[in-house]
Amino acid sequence: MKKGILTGLVALGLSVGGAAWADYPMDDEITFVIPYSPGGGFDTIVRQFAPALGEAMGATVVPENISGAGGARGGQAVHRADPDGYTIGIYNIPGLTVNEVTGRDQGFKLDEVTWIANLAVERYALAVKADSDINSVEDLCAIGTPKFSDTGATSTASVTTRISMAIIGCEIVDVTGYAGSNDSMIAVISGEVDATIKPITSLARYLEGTGSGDLKLILTLTEEEAVPGVASATDIGHPEIAQFTLNRVIGAPPGTPADVVAALEAGFAAASQSESVISWAEGAGVELDFMGAAETTAMMSSLATFYQEYKDLVGTSE
Amino acid sequence: MGIDALLEAFLSVLNGGSLTYLMVGVMLGLTFGVIPGLGGTTALALLIPVTYTLSPLDAMYLAGGVMGATSFGGSISAILLNTPGTAPNAATTFDGYPLARQGKAGLAIGASATASALGGLIGLFTLLLFIPVAREVVLSFGSSEFFLLTILGLAAIAVSVRGKLLRGLVAACIGLLLAFTGANQFTGDTRFTGGLDYLWDGIPLVPALTGLFAISQMIELALKGGSVADDKGDKSGAEKMKITGVGLGILSVFKHWPVLLRGSIIGTVIGAVPGLGGTVAAFLSYSSTAQTAKDRDTFGTGNIKGVIAPESANNAKDGGSLIPTVAFGIPGSAETALFLAILVLHGMEPGPSILLQNEREIYGLIVALTVSAISASVLGILLSRFLVLITRIDVNIIVPVVVMLSLTGVYVLEGRMADVLLTVIMGIIGYLMIRFDYPRLTLVIAFVLGEIAERSLHQVRLISEGEVIGYMLGRPISVILIVAIFITFLLPAMRKLRLPGRGGGAR
Repeated sequence: MKKGILTGLVALGLSVGGAAWADYPMDDEITFVIPYSPGGGFDTIVRQFAPALGEAMGATVVPENISGAGGARGGQAVHRADPDGYTIGIYNIPGLTVNEVTGRDQGFKLDEVTWIANLAVERYALAVKADSDINSVEDLCAIGTPKFSDTGATSTASVTTRISMAIIGCEIVDVTGYAGSNDSMIAVISGEVDATIKPITSLARYLEGTGSGDLKLILTLTEEEAVPGVASATDIGHPEIAQFTLNRVIGAPPGTPADVVAALEAGFAAASQSESVISWAEGAGVELDFMGAAETTAMMSSLATFYQEYKDLVGTSE
Repeated sequence: MGIDALLEAFLSVLNGGSLTYLMVGVMLGLTFGVIPGLGGTTALALLIPVTYTLSPLDAMYLAGGVMGATSFGGSISAILLNTPGTAPNAATTFDGYPLARQGKAGLAIGASATASALGGLIGLFTLLLFIPVAREVVLSFGSSEFFLLTILGLAAIAVSVRGKLLRGLVAACIGLLLAFTGANQFTGDTRFTGGLDYLWDGIPLVPALTGLFAISQMIELALKGGSVADDKGDKSGAEKMKITGVGLGILSVFKHWPVLLRGSIIGTVIGAVPGLGGTVAAFLSYSSTAQTAKDRDTFGTGNIKGVIAPESANNAKDGGSLIPTVAFGIPGSAETALFLAILVLHGMEPGPSILLQNEREIYGLIVALTVSAISASVLGILLSRFLVLITRIDVNIIVPVVVMLSLTGVYVLEGRMADVLLTVIMGIIGYLMIRFDYPRLTLVIAFVLGEIAERSLHQVRLISEGEVIGYMLGRPISVILIVAIFITFLLPAMRKLRLPGRGGGAR
């Protein structure tokens, strides 16, 4: 008899549990963790997506900034949360991947995160001063140990610069320590350094046609021609450096149930199609690139393998 | 073209609703400024999500109102409670507080209000003059100039701690030690973090400064008891209750106009250099004024010029910090960074063409800053009668209120409990420094400058391929800065040589 009651309770519990997941999202707020302070790129994309996501899912989405430790602290907060779909976060990829490869303990493992979606992608390009005689990577390397500019040694742009130039076989000096990515581009304009590798959207404001015309591109880190008249990675014979991208990836705590993942995935898919998000992305020059859970998870593991391969180059600046 | 846009912005701000946002900004700015631990950055960070629903221009008015009013608000607490409301007001305590204790708080507030408003206006005027050449200005400041400016700041420390050189150096070294905590920008390694990931990004500025200045002063006041403007049996209480001297304070700024002008110029220049900020500007203005003044021995005991110098500088800094913004769309200060964030949030992308694309917003901000600087000061003068009463309140009431507000403010900024803990620890360190007479501002200046100094030296080394000195000597602005550093170092020695001729006796 007792056993029967127990079975009954378990069955009841299961059915209640099942019902709860099926009902997800209920009235509860969905906390959307931003691992940086208000105002940056991650903050902006989350605040643009949050209302559209809420509408798509019939829930209230509340962005919450939990900054610190280079984005690791926000990731930890998501990691510790209940895997019930009411806490999700945006991740700095491949920044966190690079940290993990260099052996830094971030308080959580990226392969334990339940990946939901990839919202946007940014591609890199190599820029030099517009009025310089340098018109190709070959020209640049011919000047002998060209100087590049970056923010921190562990920044994604710096890692991208060092690894891709090593793959190309060009010895460089990467001058790190600039206060922001804009400052590092201005260092090229003022002639303090020779070149810089930055996301194309960031460089756009200094290019002819889209901005001030102080800089010009000599290479895009893409497989195919991304900017008319500018060589791609394939053109210079190193298509592998097109793997360097900057991604806005969404994840949830480890062990988030599959139907919750599916609901969130559908919510983000709908949000990235929404009018408000699309018009914002156009205005801000953001390349929306929606990927679902399976595709995002696959991308994360291939990124980890990719950076592991170049582990020795990831760590230092000189 | 610029003048047209400016006039248009002025007219539109006077129209209807916009002024409301601006005035709300001014009130918020004053309040956040007065409360130690809360400052312009906190106010703007909290406002960012709110501005999401506003039109970009109204968001600018709100932000400009806040930015223009905080540092004057901060000077009120600096003068009345010896607790700078925001970090840049730290230098104002040196002479502002002694004045308040002598019952001359009205004089100090009047001077601070006027210096703030005029300094702010001079800074903005300079900005307008510089707009056509802003690009050249920004491009001529490279890593080499950044490094030399930090050295100039550090050199000023050495000469400003008169008679307490050893203590000053100890404080500065502790400041440098704190500055070097966290990730090394060159190797990516972390230093002095003791395994705490909290320290990866370095020691955060706001909690550290709030602890050092606000909490420590509250410990000091609590242990002392009584009220700030203590009756030491000199004058009768009733006489001190009267607020006199506000008008004299206003006049004193015009009387000491060279101090105002110097402070404004220092503030504008330092403001234009990203990362240096109002604290350094105010300190440099104070120390250079105190160094060169004929009556330099009265500084620190209630010299009104000691209030005018830092207050004009930390308001002029706002105009200066917009120079890199109008040139390249990059922030010159924490506040302008948040201002740019507001633009981003409204789907605009600030860049080097910001003046063309966001002309309305930029001029809107300039107008807002102008109106804010003036109205905050007028408001401050009108309210000074009541504000001064703070110095008569029993510290047993003041201390818990200030401690609670400042710890809450520190927590609100990032939502980290560790920040609150750090504030308390720094508060205890700060109190020990007061108790044993070590200069706290010296620690802070070294703390602010240390990291930039290290970074830019590394950069110059890489850029110049090891030929640091040769590289610097090839850059005109660098040469000027090197000369300034030498003068700063040699000034006290030169004065000593001249002193016997004047009959000496000073100090």
